[in-house]
Amino acid sequence: MLKRSKLILLLATVCMVWTASGRPSEETSGHVLGGALNSPIRIEVFSDFQCSACREFYLRTIRQILQEYSSKDKVCVIYHEYPLTTHRYSRSAAQYAEAAAQLGVQKLLSVMDSLFMDQAQWTQDGNLEASISKALSREDFLKLKKAMQNPAIDQAINKDIQLAITQKIISTPTMIISYTGKQQKVEGLVTYLVLKQFIDSITK
Amino acid sequence: MTITLRMFHWLCRLILAGIFLYSGYVKIREPLQFAVAIAGYKLVPENLIFPLATYLPWLEIALGLGILIGWKIRYFSLASAALLLFFIVVLAITISRGIEANCGCFSLDERISPKTIARDSLILIPALYLIAEPRLRRRWQKSTPASTSSVPGN
Repeated sequence: MLKRSKLILLLATVCMVWTASGRPSEETSGHVLGGALNSPIRIEVFSDFQCSACREFYLRTIRQILQEYSSKDKVCVIYHEYPLTTHRYSRSAAQYAEAAAQLGVQKLLSVMDSLFMDQAQWTQDGNLEASISKALSREDFLKLKKAMQNPAIDQAINKDIQLAITQKIISTPTMIISYTGKQQKVEGLVTYLVLKQFIDSITK
Repeated sequence: MTITLRMFHWLCRLILAGIFLYSGYVKIREPLQFAVAIAGYKLVPENLIFPLATYLPWLEIALGLGILIGWKIRYFSLASAALLLFFIVVLAITISRGIEANCGCFSLDERISPKTIARDSLILIPALYLIAEPRLRRRWQKSTPASTSSVPGN
């Protein structure tokens, strides 16, 4: 009897470990940009605000995915900061984005849009605030400035970086796509049409 | 001579089949990463990238299995050689255009270079041998009339 209960306990433990290994451990970091967490497809993006491929990937691919698929809870997009040390203003941009996330996902999206659209400008002059102030109301901008002083912001970024290292991510943008128990790491720029065909092939 | 030829025949088959099976398997596991590699060549229309990334690995698997099994091996070798020549031409065009693409050959993070062309050319050798083998065998048999060897799979 004792042996059987031990066996059941062992099987239950194995099942729990197996289930947990199939589930991305990233739930504790990153920001959900759109779609329910239990969507059939989960796309985790590791991105750098100063990287030009990340700009193109966000503006041309991710925004359309959010509009076409996340709004229907078919795809959950989670954004992770991965500021590369080779980029001078990446870390500051990531800090602003993290602070914006504290004001809500819509504010985060506005700030991300603005940061990526004005990338060429602030990469030259380093004036990130000019870009962010365009995306937010005066009141929200002041809230964001206050939120910037929160040490949790740097902790969140470091957590994302640590996750990227754990996942052996070496370049940006990198996606980790989880679907039907599978996981695929994709490095580099993926166009909307290619990603759409991939998503449709899974969800059809 | 018979044993040497037979061994060489099997060596060519195993190398070629192994390469195609492995290459197909790697791409089937990560179709989207392979699609990114294809897109990097800037040769394929965008709407054909993902279908190509989905079906090309299965063609490689089919070629690998065909060569391994040995049924209609000459045709499978011919198709393999044609595919390898196609890859070599694509690589050469991309390098000459100065595009730094990922090869998408065996590992999905290897940059294209003259080395990748040289490697594909080397893989072409067993395919060409298997195509030319019946003719070569006839020639050898003529030169050594006592030999009654036969090479399996044809």
